Amino acid sequence: MTTTAPAPAVEPATLPRGRRRLLVVAGSPRHTVLITASWLVVALLVVLATGLADYQLGRVTNAVIIATAIVGLNVVTGYTGLLSVGHSALLGVGAYTTGVLVVKLNLQPMITIPVAVVAGVLVGAFVGLPTIRIRGLYLAMVTLALAVAFPEILQAATGLTGGAAGLVVSVRYLFPPEWTGLTRAQRPIWMFLLSLTALAVCMLIVWWMQRSRLGRDMRAVRDHEAAAESFGVNVARTKVVAFALSGGITALAGSMLAMYVGALSPAGSFTILKAIELLSGLILGGVATQLGPLVGAAVVVYLPVLLAGVVNGQGAGVLFGLLLIVIVFVMPEGIVGRLNAGWRARVEFVPRGHPYAPTPRRERA
Amino acid sequence: MDVLLERLIAGTTDGAIYALIALSLVVVFRGTGTINFAQGEIALFTTFVAWSVVTRGMPIWVALLVATLCGFVIGVVVERVCVRPVAKRSDMAVLIVLLGLFTAFNSLDGLIWGGDTKVLPSLLPNGPDDYLAAGSARIYGDTAAVWIGTGVVLLLMIILFRFTRTGLHMRAVANNSEAAALAGVRVGRVLSFSWGLAGAIGSAAGVLITPLAPAQLSLLTMLTIFISACAAALLGGLDSLVGAVVAGLAIGLMEAFIIGYVPGLGDHLSETAVLTIIVIVLLVRPTGLFGTKKLERV
Repeated sequence: MTTTAPAPAVEPATLPRGRRRLLVVAGSPRHTVLITASWLVVALLVVLATGLADYQLGRVTNAVIIATAIVGLNVVTGYTGLLSVGHSALLGVGAYTTGVLVVKLNLQPMITIPVAVVAGVLVGAFVGLPTIRIRGLYLAMVTLALAVAFPEILQAATGLTGGAAGLVVSVRYLFPPEWTGLTRAQRPIWMFLLSLTALAVCMLIVWWMQRSRLGRDMRAVRDHEAAAESFGVNVARTKVVAFALSGGITALAGSMLAMYVGALSPAGSFTILKAIELLSGLILGGVATQLGPLVGAAVVVYLPVLLAGVVNGQGAGVLFGLLLIVIVFVMPEGIVGRLNAGWRARVEFVPRGHPYAPTPRRERA
Repeated sequence: MDVLLERLIAGTTDGAIYALIALSLVVVFRGTGTINFAQGEIALFTTFVAWSVVTRGMPIWVALLVATLCGFVIGVVVERVCVRPVAKRSDMAVLIVLLGLFTAFNSLDGLIWGGDTKVLPSLLPNGPDDYLAAGSARIYGDTAAVWIGTGVVLLLMIILFRFTRTGLHMRAVANNSEAAALAGVRVGRVLSFSWGLAGAIGSAAGVLITPLAPAQLSLLTMLTIFISACAAALLGGLDSLVGAVVAGLAIGLMEAFIIGYVPGLGDHLSETAVLTIIVIVLLVRPTGLFGTKKLERV
């Protein structure tokens, strides 16, 4: 009621009484300052991260890559509402595309990135095709099939993928290219910046997507499929496109993973357990939010590490599982979802010309 | 002919276990409308409990009873404490709670019993000479135990759903929980009982299959079985008890025959082949073989 009530623009309204709120008008100096400040904080964090010790920076890079994969999962599961337990395979498609091309054809890893993305888009679209007939949890079955089949196919195609033993990408391919000006010892920084760029690009694409017609179609399909269809949304196409986009993004994350780890094996990162980890991260961070994947990735990467410091071995797993449950009880809309709700309760963000916004005097006449 | 019989026996044995666990998934789905991702790990936990009972010198029959009871209690507690409070909020919340339990139970097993593989005795004598000859194939004690156990559980389920008041209430809740509540069915109790029942069935299945499982009793025993059981529940139609049994057996047999007769696929791709067949079946029948088609109003 309070945020969307339409009122004649000539009558300046006041904020509802009660809790004190900060009024931010789009395009106002206050808005600009807030945005600039946030970007400065982000830039500062990135600069600080590059100064970390190698193993710590490696862990940050891992979190960034997982975050990218979750951004991809968010497109399908968050915005379109299609549960996927098969994203481990899409991650693997990207990783193995890069791995196989580098090892078998001696290509530069950077060149393989677009190939990996295209492979991810194609596999994603292929998995999305059954959505035309299969819905709900039955669709999860299709993604389950993908998750289980992928490691088996890797093991069967021994000639290409190295089978159960896996692939090792020679480290000489993974040094920073010369144009970056980074030395070979600075490989962790290069990997961090590269995967961060990938993450930023993906987040930008998703940001654009969720504001576009495609994003509205996706949310309509998620909220009520039959209603969306009767309003003229092409449900089948929306779902397939969502899967294709999601596949591309997750495969990009996989390509980064291949370069970061340098060794790939079917039993490693591409089983259904990885898909469950991605899903946990997404729901913990907050489905259908922009920043949820980042927070969720940080939780699933760092929480086990932190817990391992408290209790040893299997105890950490028990605590992790219990903490997942506690977090859901405390914030069922995810961490970012909860933060967003708290943020909206305190800050009133309105477009220019909104009745709440103070109108300049000369325009009021 | 030898291969045929041997594959038939192996297929029905695996299939019986898939059917049991799929049955427990369907019982939960009919009540709560979700797939219990923790089902396999709850069963693994109670199987470890059974192992503990056996190592204290008790017979395996007692261990089976203890595990089944334990599974029932865990099912009820999980429903009442973990699932019901979040069930109203969103399906995603329930899902993550179950994934949390999945991780927690598996790690708890490792914490209590360690990661090394253990051997659970079979319910029936299972020595090298304890077999029934069926033509050229041999049915050993562990296989027979799975068949008999599955038969008993199915019989009990039929009695429960056909002839008891509780079974009638469960069917009423599955059909329309609001109408059932209006007619005086205590829906909360029925849900708790459903989860308990599912936990008990899963535990029985765990104890039965472990002597035959390739991984014996280890932290990974249940994962592959659970995935196949999930596939069985979906193939049969998530709300169909008959479907779960038929699809469970069908998947077990398909796996067995692909391994036995299709050399190219059987070595590495047996699961893939089975799952592909299931996806194709779902393309033709989107709500599984026996699932009810839902009409949606706008």
